[in-house]
Amino acid sequence: MAIDARHVSKSFGNYVALRDVDLNVEQSELVALLGPSGSGKTTLLRIIAGLDTPDQNPETAVIVDGQDILDRRGSERRVGFVFQHYALFRHMTVFENIAFGLRVRPRKLRPREPELRHKVNELLELIQLGRWSNHYPSQLSGGQRQRVALARALAIEPSVLLLDEPFGALDAKVRQELRRWLRTLHAKIAVTSVLVTHDQEEALEVADRIVIMNQGRIEQTGTPDEVFHNPASEFVLTFLGNVNLFHGRAESNGRARRLFVRPHDLEIERHPSNADSVAARVHRIQSAGPIVRLELTSDQNNSITVEITHERYRDLTIKTGETVFVKVRDVRVFVAAG
Amino acid sequence: MAITSRHRHGEPVWMRNLFIGASVAFVGLLILLPVISVFTEAFRKGFSFYLRSISDPLALSALRLTLITAAVTLAANLVFGLAASWLIAKFSFPGRNVLLSLIDLPFAVSPVISGLVFVLLFGAQGWFGDALSNHGIQIVFAMPGVILATIFVTFPFIARELIPLMQEQGAEEEEAAVLLGANGWQIFRRVTLPNIRWALVYGVVLANARAMGDFGAVSVVSGHIRGRTNTLPLHVEILYNEYNFSAAFAVASLLALLALVTLVAKAALEWRIRAEERTAVMEDVA
Repeated sequence: MAIDARHVSKSFGNYVALRDVDLNVEQSELVALLGPSGSGKTTLLRIIAGLDTPDQNPETAVIVDGQDILDRRGSERRVGFVFQHYALFRHMTVFENIAFGLRVRPRKLRPREPELRHKVNELLELIQLGRWSNHYPSQLSGGQRQRVALARALAIEPSVLLLDEPFGALDAKVRQELRRWLRTLHAKIAVTSVLVTHDQEEALEVADRIVIMNQGRIEQTGTPDEVFHNPASEFVLTFLGNVNLFHGRAESNGRARRLFVRPHDLEIERHPSNADSVAARVHRIQSAGPIVRLELTSDQNNSITVEITHERYRDLTIKTGETVFVKVRDVRVFVAAG
Repeated sequence: MAITSRHRHGEPVWMRNLFIGASVAFVGLLILLPVISVFTEAFRKGFSFYLRSISDPLALSALRLTLITAAVTLAANLVFGLAASWLIAKFSFPGRNVLLSLIDLPFAVSPVISGLVFVLLFGAQGWFGDALSNHGIQIVFAMPGVILATIFVTFPFIARELIPLMQEQGAEEEEAAVLLGANGWQIFRRVTLPNIRWALVYGVVLANARAMGDFGAVSVVSGHIRGRTNTLPLHVEILYNEYNFSAAFAVASLLALLALVTLVAKAALEWRIRAEERTAVMEDVA
């Protein structure tokens, strides 16, 4: 079900966490809220869930499935929420954790025991933890715990699924696996989902659309392709990956300009092929990985990072300490503020 | 493990024995010996005298008052301790630190002063003295005063056990429960209470020991009216001051028995917690 949050602001004392934010999530979409810590993404998620209240403003609304749920309590919003640190009930087994949301329903809506068992077992199947149903959370690995937390959230058949840095506490390998798994799961159950993360790779890989936040505002919204290839601001560009910064002046009016080039948009040459090529000294080569990363220092003492393929690296036969030429293939320009 | 650590520290055997001996002597002299002497003195004039002493109507009434006081105190402090800890651990609000300091107050103030405060408030010459006597309510030198003073001196025990634990556990499980649709009572009974149950029982055990044994505050507010406002500790003192040593010790042995029951309960609890942790760890390894 679609989410439409309008004019959401939130301050904690003097600290402003959200400044008049609008967020739109389409039915069945998986949207990532991406931003550095303190950008307001978790606050926005908690407001949608009902764990925090936005600042008073008659225009503020959180509309889910056509209804403003702002006046409803968290317990009445039927949102699935997955916490970074799982927040599993430590004294309950995996089974009881998942069953919790069904057991606390008012008597009339509560499923009968066989029905409940069937439903929980189905979810255990979904998260591939059927054999662990009688274990306690402390006996599971981090990845398993987060899967239980997800099943517990799905048990109440939530209208929307909210995930707060769900893989943030896991190690890199497990994180990768869970990301893929979440992607497949979402394709299967298609519940409208919002995922908060500070990991751009995660957002780019998992989300249908990315909402990039900074200092309580939304900087840009778009598909992973759009935000990566057409960043709307300097912040988005730098946040989504490594960039090299060059200073220059506009030819038309002489104003200061900042030129940004991604490491893979730079080319290394033995001999300068045109006047724009810059001479630079190689001081570090990192070739373990899918690409080769070179750290160079230009004559003007700028540090430059270049990424090239292993093939190109072999052809060039570069060594540390050598001087080469760097050519720009693609550049983004942002006029310096002020 | 033990051997390597001994090697590392390398203290000589005689020193180790000295420390062990000193500890045993200290405990024996200051704790074990008095307990033994209580029971030997209690039975000095024979078993039938002992029975007569503890079944004396005045002793029984003191026992009754002590048990009632302990029961009411625990009930009150259970409610207060839970409410205060919940408030302090899971919410931030203005005055939180003041409340936290106030909870510690009874530990900081001498029990005698605590008792005096109640006399000053509710006594005949106290702030509310006139108002209370006009309505025919007596607090000081009556059971309500004894209970109030006992509640006052014991109220930090439960809160102090719970607050650090609840703070460490945070509010995330409760938040998860809210979003899963649970109401306040369901959250308390199914999530919060199971997570703190051992600390709670432990706090109750400590508070109970203190409630039954308190002397200072109760001594000031009770007025030592035999058969009416005497608790066991006060009754022991009266008997002792009347040179009725054997009876005093007989009644004291009752108090000591109650303390032993409390201690056994505490030990059983600790054993149970440790057993639970051990199985958790073992299952973790498996």
